[in-house]
Amino acid sequence: MGRTERNIAEIEALYRQHGAALLLFASAISGDRGRAQDAVHQVFLKAIENGSVSQAINKKAYLFACVRNAVLNEAKLQDRNMSLDVNSAWFSPPGPDYAGEQNLRRALGKLPDDQREVMILHVWGELTFSEIADLLGVSSNTAASRYRYGLAKLRGSMLAKENSCADSR
Amino acid sequence: MQTPDDEQFEAYLKRFHPIAPEPIPILSVGHSSRRSPPLGIWLAAVATILVLGAVILHIRSSRIVVSNTARDAAVAERHAPSEPLTMRTANAWLATAPSFKAAVDDLAFRSQPSPLPQGKQSAVAMLSKEKIRL
Repeated sequence: MGRTERNIAEIEALYRQHGAALLLFASAISGDRGRAQDAVHQVFLKAIENGSVSQAINKKAYLFACVRNAVLNEAKLQDRNMSLDVNSAWFSPPGPDYAGEQNLRRALGKLPDDQREVMILHVWGELTFSEIADLLGVSSNTAASRYRYGLAKLRGSMLAKENSCADSR
Repeated sequence: MQTPDDEQFEAYLKRFHPIAPEPIPILSVGHSSRRSPPLGIWLAAVATILVLGAVILHIRSSRIVVSNTARDAAVAERHAPSEPLTMRTANAWLATAPSFKAAVDDLAFRSQPSPLPQGKQSAVAMLSKEKIRL
C-alpha cells in the first residue's frame, strides 16, 4: 500500500469514526445542515490533498478544530448571521423516541452558542475539557464551567418540555 | 463538579447518536476504483476460466472413455469363455458379460480361437455368412 493509499485509508477510518459527531458539531455552529455537511466534506478533502491529518498528534481534536474553522470562515465569507435551523433531525433516537430527539434538538438550539459548542464537543465529540480549551482558545476551567451551565440549562429545558407535554395530555 | 444526576443525564444524552454524514464523493469513487478492477479485466478473467473449464472437461471425458475401454477389455478377458465360440456360448457370454461393448470386444479380438469339435459351427463364421443390409 502506497503512502497516498495509506493516507486515504486513514482518512476513511477517521470519517467513519468521527464523521457523525463532526457533522453534529458543524450543524450546531453553522445553523444549517447542508452547510455543515459541506464544511465537513471540505475538511476531509483537504486532509486527503495535503495529508495534514497524519501529522497531527491528536487527530480527533484537530478535525474538530478544522471543521470549526471551515464553518466560521464560510460564515465570514458569506457575511451572514448564523441562525440555527433545528427543523431537520440531528440525532437518531434510541428506539422510537422521536419526540425525545426533537426535544433535545430544540433544547440544544436554545443554549447560548458557546455552551452548545462545549456540550456537543464533550458529550458527542468525546473531547476532554483540556482538548476543548485548546480548540476554543479558552481555559479548561472556562470550558468546564460552560459545560456545567449548559448541562443544567439543557436538562431544565428538556424537563420543562416533557412536563408541558404531560400536562397537555 | 458533576453530580450523579448530571452523570445520569449525560448518559441519557449519549443514547442519542448523531446522524452519520453522507459519504465523501471522492472517497466512494476512489474506493470503488481502487478495489474493483475494470470491466475488461473481469471479462477476460471470466473468459479464461470458461476456456480452462472446457479444456479440462474435454481432457477428463476423453480419459474416461480410454480408461473405460481398457477396463471393459480387461474384464472381458477375465470372463471370456474358454470353450469354442458357438451361438450358445456367445449368448451365454453376452448374458454374463459386464457390458455389451466388452463382450463384443472380447469376441472380436480373441487371439487364440479354440478348435471346434466335430459337428459344431463357429458363431462368427455363421454371422459372417449373414447378408446384413445397412
